[in-house]
Amino acid sequence: MSLLYDLQLRRYYHIPNDTADVYLFLQQHSIEECVAHYGEDNRETIEDYIDFVISRELGFKDQQLLPELTTLDLSWDRYADITNVIIEYNEAIDYDGPFFRELFALHVQALEIRYYHAVTLDKIRAFVERFNGTTLKYIKLVLSYDKVLDLQLLDKLVKQYPRVKSLLIHSSPVLRQEKIFDGSVPVVFFDKPINSCMACGEIRANYFVSNLELFTESQHYNTCLNRKLSINLNGYIKNCPSMQEDYGHVATASLRQVLDNPVFRRYGSIRKDDITVCRDCEFRHACTDCRAYVENPEDVYSKPLKCGYDPYTNKWEDWTQHPMKQAAIACYGLKETNN
Amino acid sequence: MSQKILILSQSHLESTTDHVCLWMDYLRIPFLRVNGEDFFRFENLGDLPGDTATAAVWYRRKINSFPVEYSLKQADFQTQYTLKRFLIDEFNGVYSFLFHTISRHKWLNDPLSEDRLNKLHVLALARQHGIPTPFTEVVTTRAAIAGLLGLYQELIVKPLSECIFVEGADGEQYKMLTKTINSANLRMVPEKFFPSLVQEKIIKKFEIRSFYLDGDCYSMAIFSQNNQKTKEDFRNYDTQRPNRTVPYKLPAELELKLDQLMRSLGFRTGSIDLMVDMEGHYHFLEINPEGQFGMVSYPCNYYLEKKLARLLQQSISHEEEIHQQPERKERTAAVTVFPGER
Repeated sequence: MSLLYDLQLRRYYHIPNDTADVYLFLQQHSIEECVAHYGEDNRETIEDYIDFVISRELGFKDQQLLPELTTLDLSWDRYADITNVIIEYNEAIDYDGPFFRELFALHVQALEIRYYHAVTLDKIRAFVERFNGTTLKYIKLVLSYDKVLDLQLLDKLVKQYPRVKSLLIHSSPVLRQEKIFDGSVPVVFFDKPINSCMACGEIRANYFVSNLELFTESQHYNTCLNRKLSINLNGYIKNCPSMQEDYGHVATASLRQVLDNPVFRRYGSIRKDDITVCRDCEFRHACTDCRAYVENPEDVYSKPLKCGYDPYTNKWEDWTQHPMKQAAIACYGLKETNN
Repeated sequence: MSQKILILSQSHLESTTDHVCLWMDYLRIPFLRVNGEDFFRFENLGDLPGDTATAAVWYRRKINSFPVEYSLKQADFQTQYTLKRFLIDEFNGVYSFLFHTISRHKWLNDPLSEDRLNKLHVLALARQHGIPTPFTEVVTTRAAIAGLLGLYQELIVKPLSECIFVEGADGEQYKMLTKTINSANLRMVPEKFFPSLVQEKIIKKFEIRSFYLDGDCYSMAIFSQNNQKTKEDFRNYDTQRPNRTVPYKLPAELELKLDQLMRSLGFRTGSIDLMVDMEGHYHFLEINPEGQFGMVSYPCNYYLEKKLARLLQQSISHEEEIHQQPERKERTAAVTVFPGER
């Protein structure tokens, strides 16, 4: 199958390869030429394809080809050496050092703060407070469920700190989705615990995103790790909390040295087009990817372990049950966290 | 003394300026951002940004609203408005002093040309450069409109200056947008009225907004014709059903003419509005020299904020060259005379 990405309206359409071929042919040819090419028998089908595109406002009919409607430039760039940060919060760690301050002077855009265990609102406030006055735009809080932290209190929190634009509450008694701050901030109550980074790296259809940022970055870089940095529970600097390698401790490391370290930068340059199986997958430029848990732990270019999609059969299967994946599951010690 | 890029903007509602500043910082281009609000902090004229420390100026915005409010003891609508106008004029009085104190060649756009830009003049100038424009007239009577409706099926009426927002007594807001006049609604037009701009209505296939940056046109096609709300004016945004906006390449010949037009006005940046009619002909509408380019840059992936930062950076190196030239010549001369020394 193929994927038709609507990068502006952030939608995608899963279409057969034959349909995609017709669309590609129509890029350079008139409708009549297309009918002539595929045969009069296919006229109705071709017209249906065209009607579909028009109904979704993906195109229009005209008297002539319009070469002035040029293809989109797919280059990608950002004004920051690090755009996204994940912190696995630990109150025993000192986040006041030069590494931390220099990191957020880089114009980091988004930060995820993960609290695996219950924490008081005062402590959350004190931590979020330090980003006032930085160019950070977006904070996502991952919190452990606490019945004291009701929606009213969370609403007050996000109004006081408008950088907080998303909340995920794990270990919640029921799965539900709410919105606070006049509907602008989603709060997801997740009914399973998130108590370590082992839960990360799942590839699911509802994680797929069709937008310009991801699509263009994915052409050149790894969308999960490019220009991204994490500080794990013990204060070690990593590409992501789930990766094996670390680049020193937040208390002592030099930010410049980490950024210039070719090992640190290596993962960011692994494109979906470089990865086995993924390179043939129609979802590859909408995908989150994962380099921490892969099918063959010896091969950094192998498919994400926690992906159950087969692009050759277009079927989703439960990855945890797949016989070929059991060795890797055991290797990462993922058995216990799965169910 | 090392020179900086001067960015004149405002402190709020300016994501485009913020974005350019982030790129300037990342690319390590020295700059100074002065917001209109800063003029209330300056203690005297000496605090205004000066010529010698400035390599180039990007003049984006003056100010949105003053950080202080004044009212008269016996306030009524009329005097309140007069006072507001007066304060704006006072503010402009000190602000536009910069147009004279900082050398004109350093401004990305000639500030005096920008400040007194006239829509009718721009249209006339465009025609002089061979750029097609819709038939445009300023009329004062219904009879004149009736006469024009004999030549053109429909006309539009729009302000000669800028659109305004009107607020009602209960805070309700009214937007001024382009309106159509045809034989069906002609009777609603008063017999005599304030001099008003009317223009031949172009039935558009799509609109084009082009951001002009130092000789290059970065264009975007806006498909608003399927949407009743935005059919006449795409600024009448529909957030539920956004207009499709895609990259577009204008014909080279038209780009060349637009380049000449912008140069003749002393502009190195600006937004250009065009329309493409059902037959595929282009119609030039207007220039917006201060240009909202975020709405073109993002959907077309043009990175205009970065390109603008790079253009400003060039101005720094250019200014340095001018200042260092005599010094460099001396050094070269010394080297030729005494090749062994250094």
